[in-house]
Amino acid sequence: MGPLPFALPFAELEVGQHLYWQIGNLKIHGQVFMTSWLLIGALLALVVVGTRKMERDPRGVQNLLEFLWDYIRDLARTQIGEKAYRDWMPFIGTLFLFIFVSNWGGALVPWKLIHLPSGELGAPTADINTTVALALLVSLAYFYAGLSRKGFRYFEYYVYPTPIMLPFKIVEDFTKPLSLSFRLFGNILADELVVAVLVFLVPLILPVPVMFLGLFTSAIQALIFATLAAYYIGEAVEEHH
Amino acid sequence: MNFPLMFAEGGFGLNFNLFEANVFNLALVIFGLYKFLPPFVGGILERRRATILTDLTDAEERLAKASKALAEAKKDLEQASKKAEQIRKDCKVRAEAIRVESEKRTVEEMARLKQGAASDLNAEAVRVSAQLRREAARLAIEKALASLPGKLDDKAQAKFLNQSIKSLGKA
Repeated sequence: MGPLPFALPFAELEVGQHLYWQIGNLKIHGQVFMTSWLLIGALLALVVVGTRKMERDPRGVQNLLEFLWDYIRDLARTQIGEKAYRDWMPFIGTLFLFIFVSNWGGALVPWKLIHLPSGELGAPTADINTTVALALLVSLAYFYAGLSRKGFRYFEYYVYPTPIMLPFKIVEDFTKPLSLSFRLFGNILADELVVAVLVFLVPLILPVPVMFLGLFTSAIQALIFATLAAYYIGEAVEEHH
Repeated sequence: MNFPLMFAEGGFGLNFNLFEANVFNLALVIFGLYKFLPPFVGGILERRRATILTDLTDAEERLAKASKALAEAKKDLEQASKKAEQIRKDCKVRAEAIRVESEKRTVEEMARLKQGAASDLNAEAVRVSAQLRREAARLAIEKALASLPGKLDDKAQAKFLNQSIKSLGKA
């Protein structure tokens, strides 16, 4: 994209700019860390406030948190199965809540009011590094789940139901994190870009429906990521007989 | 990527370009969410809370009912065990009485049997000795009759007669 042939007075658009922090040999994207910490802090604060004074009659935040807990438990139970879901509910719940809060936080907070030396604040999940980290954690989780529950019998899964499946199952181990990370990253970044471009072109009203759509899809993305993670873990701990 | 960057060389700061920060649209979206979400989520949460409260009151009611039933059952149990104890005591007394009674009866019976046996024995002994006496008498008479014809002569008869008369005289 080159510069537009006409100058718009309203908005600027920048892509691929990052606020780099140097740690040892690593260059990390500082803006992602800042928004992640902020959103994680907000989430923790909500949880702490909601569980500080728990009562038998669930009110307000406690009721909301219990509702979320029920929701995550149902999700984990349907995907992982009655036997193992308790071990993995915290993981699935953390994934779901973090991704959901990241997506909505990125879409609803006017981050651009804060100006950085380089890059701009936004949803942490719109950065490929975040989503790859989450997806690799899912990979580790389902390997660990399978190995810890079934020992080396876990690898029976690779030749189930026939040994012909072996190459596909091996390829799956690579495609699972790949598809997880790229799906989430692509959706959230696309949402942000569509909104940014629309704001760039038509600053008022027109982006609003797209923003609502973005909220909807980013909620769905959080659900998809958590569901798939739970499904992979469920697949790994499932007993074949 | 050749967009003009505002503040490209600046440090951290605030950006008061409200159009660029998309503040108006965000305000609209947040307002929409504020209008739409609380009734929706609030309705779900309120229903959830109502269900939980109903469940709790139901459970409490059941608990109260169950504890009442338990108390009643305990009372019944106490009464029943009291009754059982009473019956047991009565039974013991009765058993003791029956035991004593039967003991007494047995002892009496045994005494009676012993006595009967002893009297039977006496009667038999009397009968046997009577028979023996009769037999001895019969034998003696027979012997006497057998030896009588040789011994009985006039002299002896006179002597016997005298003797008899003497003994009559003495009487």
